[in-house]
This record gives sequence, C-alpha cells and structure tokens, in this order.
Amino acid sequence: MREKKLSRLTKTGSAALVSSVIGMMTVGAAFANDKLVELQKDEANWVMQGKNYSADHYSSSKQINKKNVSKLAPSWTFSTGVLSGHEGAPLVIGDMMYIHSPFPNNTFAINLNDPGTIVWEHKPKQDPAARAVACCDVVNRGLAYWPGDDKTPAMIVKSQLDGHVVALNAETGELHWQVENGDISVGQTQTQAPFVVKDLVIQGSSGAELGVRGYVTAFDIHTGEMAWRWYATGPDSEIGLAKDFNSENPHYGQKDLGLKTWEDEAWKIGGGTNWGWYAYDPDLEMFYYGSGNPAPWNETMRPGDNKWTMTIWGRDADTGLAKFGYQKTPHDEWDYAGVNVMMLSEQKDKSGKMRKLLTHPDRNGIIYTLDRETGDLVSADKMDDTANWVKKVDLETGLPIRDPEFSTRMGHRSRDICPSAMGFHNQGMDSYDPERQNFYLGINHLCMDWEPFMLPYRAGQFFVGANVWSYPGPKGDRQRGIGSGQVKAYNAITGEFAWEKMEKFSIWGGTMATAGGLVFYGTLDGFIKARDADNGDLLWKFKLPSGAIGHPMTYTKDGVQYVAINYGVGGWPAVGLVFDLNDPSAGLGAVGAFKELARNTQMGGGLMVFALDGKGPYDDLSVGEYEM
Amino acid sequence: MKKIKTLAVTGATALLLSVGMSAMAYDGTKCQEAGKCWEAKPGFPEKIKGSKFDPKHSQAELDKQDSAMEAMEARNAKRVENFKKSGKWSY
Repeated sequence: MREKKLSRLTKTGSAALVSSVIGMMTVGAAFANDKLVELQKDEANWVMQGKNYSADHYSSSKQINKKNVSKLAPSWTFSTGVLSGHEGAPLVIGDMMYIHSPFPNNTFAINLNDPGTIVWEHKPKQDPAARAVACCDVVNRGLAYWPGDDKTPAMIVKSQLDGHVVALNAETGELHWQVENGDISVGQTQTQAPFVVKDLVIQGSSGAELGVRGYVTAFDIHTGEMAWRWYATGPDSEIGLAKDFNSENPHYGQKDLGLKTWEDEAWKIGGGTNWGWYAYDPDLEMFYYGSGNPAPWNETMRPGDNKWTMTIWGRDADTGLAKFGYQKTPHDEWDYAGVNVMMLSEQKDKSGKMRKLLTHPDRNGIIYTLDRETGDLVSADKMDDTANWVKKVDLETGLPIRDPEFSTRMGHRSRDICPSAMGFHNQGMDSYDPERQNFYLGINHLCMDWEPFMLPYRAGQFFVGANVWSYPGPKGDRQRGIGSGQVKAYNAITGEFAWEKMEKFSIWGGTMATAGGLVFYGTLDGFIKARDADNGDLLWKFKLPSGAIGHPMTYTKDGVQYVAINYGVGGWPAVGLVFDLNDPSAGLGAVGAFKELARNTQMGGGLMVFALDGKGPYDDLSVGEYEM
Repeated sequence: MKKIKTLAVTGATALLLSVGMSAMAYDGTKCQEAGKCWEAKPGFPEKIKGSKFDPKHSQAELDKQDSAMEAMEARNAKRVENFKKSGKWSY
C-alpha cells in the first residue's frame, strides 16, 4: 500500500523529495483505510457489503467445495424480529457478527463464540411516516465498518429509512454521532448501505420516484462533519467535476450538461439518486458508483439527455470530484435506474494490454466494462439477447442505438419492452472469480408494457407518472408467471457466457463465488443454492424459511468455514405479498409479474448460517448453558 | 389523429411518414454536441413549455428540496461544532 502510493505520487509529482514528504503525510491520514484493506484479505472477516474494495464477493476459502457441498447444513440461526425485505448481508470482524434489519433498522452484535447471546442492540426511534415515502418496501442494504485509530474506536455505521446516518461504537453499540442526510417531508429516504473509505463515510440517496434530486455525501468518521456533497444534476459547481473531467473521453460530454440537457429547472426534481453499491481502488484513490433514473418516469415531461442521471462515476475519494462520468441511458424512458453493483478486476483486454477495469451489469440489460482510471469503454454486451430498447452500444461513440419501436411516450402504451423497469438486473450484489475470470450474474428475465400519464410535482408526494405491467420475458413462462430469473457466468473481455441457467423467479439478491469452485445465491422462492462455477450444475440447495433478496457471505472461524444468508422476502418483487396487493399494475408494475410468489413463500426475517455437517459453536453442548 | 395532423404540416415529416416512422425517429445517435444527443420524437415538440405537455411546475415546490438540504446542513454543523467542543454528541 505505502510503496504503491509513494510511487504513484513520484510519477505524478515534481521532485522526488517533495513527493515523498507529501506521501508520508498522506499515509498518516490514510492509516485506518490501510487497516481495512488488510482486514479484508483475511477470510476470518467480511468487513464490507462487497467483501472487499473490489466488491468481487470472492472468497479464497475452499473448505467447502464441489466435492463436499452436499454436506452443507444449518449450524445456527437468528431471527431479527422484523418482517419485510431483508437485503444486504451481515458483517463479520473477528469474533463479532453485525446484523441489520429493515425498518426500523435495528442492529444486533453477536459474539460468534456463543451466537445465542446478543452482545448489544441498537433500535432507532423513527417517525413511522418514513414508511409512506419508501417506493419499494422498507429495505436496507446493510452496515459498514471503520476499524478505528488512536483517536476514535472502531465504528459500525448504519443508515436509517428516515434519512439519518449513525455511527456506533463497534464494541458497545453506544452512539458516536447521528447526522441528518435526508428529509422525508420532501420524499428523501435512505436504503443504501454506507461505504467507508479512509476516514470518510460515504452515503447516497433515495427517492427518484418522488422527484428527489440525487446527492452523495461524505462525513468524517471522527466528528460527523460533512466533508463534501455532490449532486447528480444541475450546475457543474454542484455536481463536482474535476478540472480534467472526461478529458480522456470528451465525447461523453463535459461541461454544463447538468443544466443544458434539461428544459428550464426540471433538473431540480430530476432524480439521479444513488442507492446501490460502491467500489474503491486504493491505488487510484477513486471510488465508483452509478446514479439512478431521472424523474418523473414520464419521459415527455423532461425533454433532454437528463445528465448526469444514469451515469457511471469515477470520483476522487478525498474531494469527491468526478474524474469521469459515462451516461449509460441518456433520456431514460424505462426507469432503468443505473445504481447497480460495480465489480473491479484486472484483466488483459483484446489487444493483450493489462487493464484496471470496472464491470457493471445495468438495469437496462447491458453489462458495461470500463477502464477505471480513464473511463474508456472496453465492452458493452447484452446480458440477454432479448433486450430490445437498444440495438447495440456503439463502443466508438459510447452511444446506445435505440430502437424507437420500444420507446415510451405520452399517448401511447408501449408493449413487450425488454427489460422491464425492474431491469434484467437490479440491486443484487454479484461476484467475480479472478481465477476463472467469470462474473456470476443474478439476472431478472422481465419485460413490460408501459404507458405514461401527466402529473404535477408536490414535494413529499410520489412523482412517477407511468402505469407499468411487468411479466416474465420471452424465455420464461408468461402465462404461469414463472421463469423470470437467470444465472449466468460472463467473461467481460470476450463477451461470452461460460454457462446460463434459467430460474423460476428473478435472482434478486446477488451471488458469491469461492475458490471451492462454487457459486452461491438465494432465491425469491426461499432457497439458498450452490452451483458448479465451471458448468453451472446445481450441486446443493436448502429451503430457507422465506425468500432471499440479500447476498450470501462466508467467513472462517476456529477452522470452520461458514456460509450465511439473510432470509425475509420483500423489496420490489414482493410488494404484492408484503402489502397485500392484487392489481397487476400495482407496486409500480411488479404485482402482476410476481403473483405466483405467494404460493412459494411468506414474509420472514432472519439469518441462517451453514457449515459442513452443520458444525458450529454449539457442538459443545455446554456452550451457552446456565451455570451456577 | 391529432398527432398525424401535426406531422403532416411540415414537409420533412410528411416524407418521414412515407418512408416509415421509425426510420428517422429518435435513435440517440444524432448529437448537437458531445453529450447532447436528445431529439424530440415525431409529433412531439422540441420545448414542452406552453405545449399540452407543459409540466407547469410551481417554483415554490421546486425549491423545497434545496431548502430542506440547507436546513439539515445547518443543524448538522451545529451538532458537529458542539461535539468538537464537548466531546459528547447531542442531536
């Protein structure tokens, strides 16, 4: 770490002496960050939602492997005491596991030596009105961890639906600080997991369905002080562009487009919230994420490219300033909110050049791979050939070539658009196996009919303006309401799929890959499954109490490898079941697509932990027993 | 019906009708400048202000988010200042 940082500074800086002095100063400031980099290399830990800064969800553990995965069995379980969708996954740092819940966003710390005992809990008091402005269930994508330094002890950081970001002492659960980062009276909520880089907590935003203009904010972990805040639309001074923004790819657009690609002041309620995931490159000191859809869904009410919604961002961590921004879906007409997972890898491109890459399976059905230093577009492939709004993405111009037949507009009900607004991919956090150079994608196979309508904007009220009917895509069984999921192994350079498997329901919760040659994921109908990483064969499954919309995680404790996953169906696909809706266009079009779900699962909320032969802390029967 | 009438008025779009609507419709590839490639769809106006699609946004409503953000930033700044002084977070 230190060497790399110094050499980078020497390269870019003037005299070697000066740069090494600056280097020493930077190293001091970045100490806690280095600690987090070290912790994430140890398979005893799972320190962030993406497992590591590359967000590859890849574990080098191979105690559980292809040969013995059939022996995987529950070791212990935990109920959160809350229903609704359980997204994200727990964190493990050393002996402690940290578990989060949907609204009211309770946090539990558990000692892995005796997981039956709750070490501490944090139960926020929130205005229940926050529920009314959550578009898509009261989900939360998880916790973040900051490892502490000589000034401040280690922290667990959480977000609350009511807009607060909270830092808690990781050992005691005691409140360190609590800041306001969203106001429900103007439709702002938070569902995203915070992200820790250096001594900063980065937090996104939610509410594009209520016309919220997206913003991303960094808070100092020590004091709660705001370090920077940048918006997705509006003047450049509020979007936060570095001087050399897109200088490597000027055809992506550069200055003033946050205003010029909107009519009048429509950008003020222009969406672009980021509620998905981040990745970070400690050498480049840049972080990556995607901004969401423009508001409203009614495209006719917002002429223009609507920049910088739907954009892949590469931003400097210290200042938050953007070095590149690539708009995937100019002038969105389908709610392809561009917030999905970013997975970092180093691979040789087609010309044999080693490149630092980011790969990003978008809602719009395209998997984008960019050079993460320059923003150069390396590949852009359809994750399923049934995607029809776009003919292809031109790698030279960077523009998606639209098929006007599948556009949306006022006075017209568009039919059989693929993907649906729910995307061929949604919030699931996927995985990348660096040995096999495969991305394991949990995919939705959903298409839709869409018809916009005019509506006014009132702060704090929904601002959608479209009726939508989603349903399984052409390769599924539309009549029976199943066949809406796929799992695929994808190579970002060749664009080829090593294997493809259909699933009964959309694979919403993401995937995890291991050196044991396994790909794990949960399903909406309530299974955790393991497939062979080489050919996709189904090797194991277990029936969970409820459907899964979070990702599996793994850790090793006292020589035993565990696999854990949240259960508790919800999120967008299950709003019909959660809120008892029947109209197929209700739930922003999801109810019709998932009417079969209720015959396979009901609500739940908890965690299941697996190990070979169900080995675990209570194999010793005396653990946790009452002692005189 | 109305849409077709509007289209027929201009010569270029009349031609469009004869070669097929989708051939020249908005496909995202014709750019005015880098990063600005939006076009109105056939039958739709360049500017919606004053058209039947005019959103007629209220300025007061448009500005509410900004005010809310400013107020939160101010309250947070006070909390941070107090925290730095007292060492105890007071919400």
